[in-house]
Amino acid sequence: MEIIKTNKITKISDDLSNLLRDAGYLELSACIQCGTCSGGCPSGRRTAYRTRSLMKKVQLGLKEEVLSDKELWFCSTCYTCYERCPRGVPVTDVIIYLRNLAVQEGYMQAPHLALCKMFYDTGHGVPINDNFSQLRKHHKLSDLPPTTHQFPKAAKEIQTLLKSTEFDKLTGVGDYEKKEDKKGG
Amino acid sequence: MASNGLKFALFLGCVIPNRYPFIERATKAVFGKFKIELIEMEGASCCPAPGVFRGFDIDTWLVVGARNITIAEELGVDIALMCNGCYGSLLEVNHTLKHDKEKKKMVNEHLAKIGREFKGTAKIRHVIDIMYHDIGPEKIRNRTKYGRKVPLNLNLAVHYGCHLVKPRDIRPWDNQVENPTFFDELVEISGCKSLNYKDKFMCCGAGGGVRGAFKELSLDYTREKLENITAAQADAIITGCPFCHLQFDLGQVEVNNIFKDKISAPFSIPVLYFTQLIGLAMGMKAEELGMIRSPDLKGVPPFTPVKPILTKIGESA
Amino acid sequence: MVKPKNGIKITGREPPKIGVYICWCGINIGGVVDVPKLCDYSRSLPNVVLASEYKFMCSDIGQGMIMEDIRAGKVNRVVVASCSPRMHEETFRRACEEGGLNKYLFEQANIREHCTWVTMNDIPGATRIAKDHIRMAVAKAGQLKPLEVTTVKVEPATLVVGAGIAGINAALDLANSGYKVYLVEKSPTVGGHMAQLDKTFPTMDCSSCITTPKMSEVARNPNIELMTYSEVVALDGYVGNFKARIEKYPHYIDQEACTGCGHCVDICPIECANEFELGMKPRKAIYISFPQAVPGEYTIDMNHCIRCGICKEACPTDAVHYNDISEYVDIKIGTIIIATGFDPYDAKRLEQYGFGRHKNVINALQMERLLSSYGPTEGKVKRPSDLKEPESIVWVQCVGSRDFTGRGKKYCSRVCCMYATKQARSYKEKHPNTQILIFYIDLRAFGKGYEEFYYDAAKNYGIKFIRGRVSEILEAENDNLIIRAEETMLQRPLELEVDMVVLSIGLEPREDIDDIARIFNVTATKTEDGFLMEAHPKLRPVDTLTDGVFVAGNVVGPKDIPDTVAQAKAAASSAATLMSRGEVEIIPYYAMVIDHKCAGCKSCIGLCPFNAITFNEIESIAEINDILCKGCGTCVAACPSKAIIQNHFDDVQILPMIEAAIPKKSQKEEVKVE
Repeated sequence: MEIIKTNKITKISDDLSNLLRDAGYLELSACIQCGTCSGGCPSGRRTAYRTRSLMKKVQLGLKEEVLSDKELWFCSTCYTCYERCPRGVPVTDVIIYLRNLAVQEGYMQAPHLALCKMFYDTGHGVPINDNFSQLRKHHKLSDLPPTTHQFPKAAKEIQTLLKSTEFDKLTGVGDYEKKEDKKGG
Repeated sequence: MASNGLKFALFLGCVIPNRYPFIERATKAVFGKFKIELIEMEGASCCPAPGVFRGFDIDTWLVVGARNITIAEELGVDIALMCNGCYGSLLEVNHTLKHDKEKKKMVNEHLAKIGREFKGTAKIRHVIDIMYHDIGPEKIRNRTKYGRKVPLNLNLAVHYGCHLVKPRDIRPWDNQVENPTFFDELVEISGCKSLNYKDKFMCCGAGGGVRGAFKELSLDYTREKLENITAAQADAIITGCPFCHLQFDLGQVEVNNIFKDKISAPFSIPVLYFTQLIGLAMGMKAEELGMIRSPDLKGVPPFTPVKPILTKIGESA
Repeated sequence: MVKPKNGIKITGREPPKIGVYICWCGINIGGVVDVPKLCDYSRSLPNVVLASEYKFMCSDIGQGMIMEDIRAGKVNRVVVASCSPRMHEETFRRACEEGGLNKYLFEQANIREHCTWVTMNDIPGATRIAKDHIRMAVAKAGQLKPLEVTTVKVEPATLVVGAGIAGINAALDLANSGYKVYLVEKSPTVGGHMAQLDKTFPTMDCSSCITTPKMSEVARNPNIELMTYSEVVALDGYVGNFKARIEKYPHYIDQEACTGCGHCVDICPIECANEFELGMKPRKAIYISFPQAVPGEYTIDMNHCIRCGICKEACPTDAVHYNDISEYVDIKIGTIIIATGFDPYDAKRLEQYGFGRHKNVINALQMERLLSSYGPTEGKVKRPSDLKEPESIVWVQCVGSRDFTGRGKKYCSRVCCMYATKQARSYKEKHPNTQILIFYIDLRAFGKGYEEFYYDAAKNYGIKFIRGRVSEILEAENDNLIIRAEETMLQRPLELEVDMVVLSIGLEPREDIDDIARIFNVTATKTEDGFLMEAHPKLRPVDTLTDGVFVAGNVVGPKDIPDTVAQAKAAASSAATLMSRGEVEIIPYYAMVIDHKCAGCKSCIGLCPFNAITFNEIESIAEINDILCKGCGTCVAACPSKAIIQNHFDDVQILPMIEAAIPKKSQKEEVKVE
């Protein structure tokens, strides 16, 4: 019975495309599915991810499907599609915005969540450790770089900002850190 | 003091100071030779990384990016940075906030809580931009003429990366995007030749959060690039971004491991940051360019040995 | 200058009896304002003797109402309150004329576009504005004077600019109707781009076989004076009476003495790029464009000639003259047809396709030359790198067209889907085992026989059509090409190695279109596609807004051969219509200088956008050419001595309108909001 399955579309909605239009990405509505984006996509030629299909799904309003799919995170934001789209669709920026929406719905990859925690705790996405401190000394540099690592007040500023934009609430770090994992999708 | 009047605030980011400090070392050394003054940006943070944090919340990315820019604004100088990702972030943040009144207002409302204000008085410059437009390939070539007794004569596979060049509209490369040549011009010095290899302008795979969440996918990109670079018989890969550098350096070891059944032979192409190459061409010591390994530390770069390059050009390890 | 029959001394002193006719225009006007109430209001206005209303005043019945009232002597001035005068001013004027009233004793109040169409949701407001318009029109109508239409003679000759297939057809139709035609062509030969094509779709006619007969005809027709290697450098005048100066560039060869032996070409030491062969074959500095060139004249390209003297010495009839100079010819014509064609898109602008870098990526026009039996490879398609006949060819569609990035044009170039299919079929006919792929976004086969041609190409010739715009083209070993695209139907990435790629480039306005527009005083739509602008996109496709100047073919927009020829014939017909009556009407709203008031300050001369004002040095007064004058009113307003007046828009006609626009206290009752 596994062969009996359908992905029939029974509802087309403006909800998702309206969100993008409100954010200023109007050209998306003019996408004619020419395939230039997928045609040059370095990710698409080694995975099932199809940039063009993603644009169509957004046009049709298949919101849950788009935001929950981990393929949304296969794009390496190389901007090749953005540069080549003949309709001027800012493809990569659309994908980044969709990722924002996905995170708001709670869809995030676990390693990315870990990065958010480090960002909140240290002000760096990739913080230093003892080993690399030694490496800095080997290269005649200060053991800590003159960043938030060396200036705790600056690290506090970052936390103030992340609280102010509610990044902590969004990603579940700082005061909002929970035990359970984010939905990986 | 800078004899040519060039002075910048050096933005470090994360990967360079915390993982690849020799890029910082080499760039500072080479810039010093060209009398470009680099001052510290105290309390700078992650740019924030465009591939991850911009994808989580654009407003947070604007706010934290703006905070970094205000540090330079207070110093009254433009920002120089060494990473394509930081370039992508700070250049875009700066441009957005300079032109979108509402976004600037939103950002400053948050920054007010830490007593800062984005004014839009600074410019964001990649070190490649500074070397190409402020110094120029010809001046660099002249400096390298008498730098070394024997020219380097290396065959180089230049990797531009993505955010250096795209999107083209706010970048200073005079519309070069599908087939740029400016980075090649900088490194074709001391007898070096920049090779044409298949998919030269393809992404390394690290960005967009891909290395973080789907490492194998990112490494498949890298495997393809390494195959093409090897086929072109390059002596070294030249990068302008620490994340690309990491992807080719540590990534090369990882590719050799996880794709060992897919590739014909393990890759072993040294990876150099471009200021290391310029320094070598000028006759600077390998040591001050960060090319000598620390004998005691484990698990630190370079993961793919650069010694073969030194041997090839007749430098002692 | 032609003086009107009655001059300005006719004032029509009888008291005005104004009839106001209000149109419902269905619900456009009637659905917003209360038309009967407007009629009541109109009757209360000064000089109005009757006010009627009807659903559609422009209909026969509506016009009949006006005519009847005029014939019955009830009215001697007519105001129609309806749509914009741009719609029906002529209709109502003719109705007045048929009724026996001078057609300029009519005024139209626009209560549709200027009223109900913009205030649909504010009924009281719309009503108020409608009353304002009617009141103003009535105020003017009371001051209207009868005017006479004058005519000017039309020179029965046409200047056709450009001798491609459009220019040739237009010239022949006019010449065969008995008109004199000056056919001017910039290049040394007629034929245009059509002479470069191999076959034409969908009939697969050989292009030169159908073009060359017309080319010869145009050279032989006794009514056509053909000037090739010539350019129109100056144009003066107005409809029916243009004066053009043509520069005939020197060939440096005495065409009478030249026997066409070609010996000079053989021994010329200089090779340079051959424009006709699109750079794929060289030519000598002394050359003939192609073997069937008409006229069959040799030319020396002085940009490359080094004047070594070898050809001069070798010429058996001493026909080479290095010191020839341009000849200037002045002509008088009544009409002009611009048929200067297009330029192909420069594919270097889409860098990802490698045109200009990858040896075996060519454009479609170059492919035409390769396919052509008198082309650089004599009809055998050989790829540039190694002259091998390709075993696999890809056509890339929409190169430089349907592009909203600024690196190409936004429009669809209309012919590329068909020409690619045609070229593919031409090659496949001779090489049935070739793999031929056409990568497209949409396949547009709109014309007569086109869809059938496409079907046939796929079914009987096995040409494969792949839906997916090519993203990039890389160079592989042996100068082969690698195509990257998505097969969008199967949703799979595609990477193929092929021998040769043909870019289906779009059709663009010529590089010099701005110069053309300037000389002929027409508009080029620089904001959008850049082609010359037709007077109305639907109803006047071959007219321009400059009377007497017509356009045809690709100079207006990209099109195929049938449409080009149709437009050429349409333009010839329009020109003939204008010239056949021997005279053309001049609309009498021109401005006039009151001689004794003119102080000779010359302020007006530079202001006229139509160059209609000249200065008479002897009498020291400005003179207005009433044919060039379009009645814009600029000089009237600017003259510091108030020495210029304008028919139909005199101060005595406009000032009452202004006064009527602002109701006085005593009129407040009429404009009370209901």
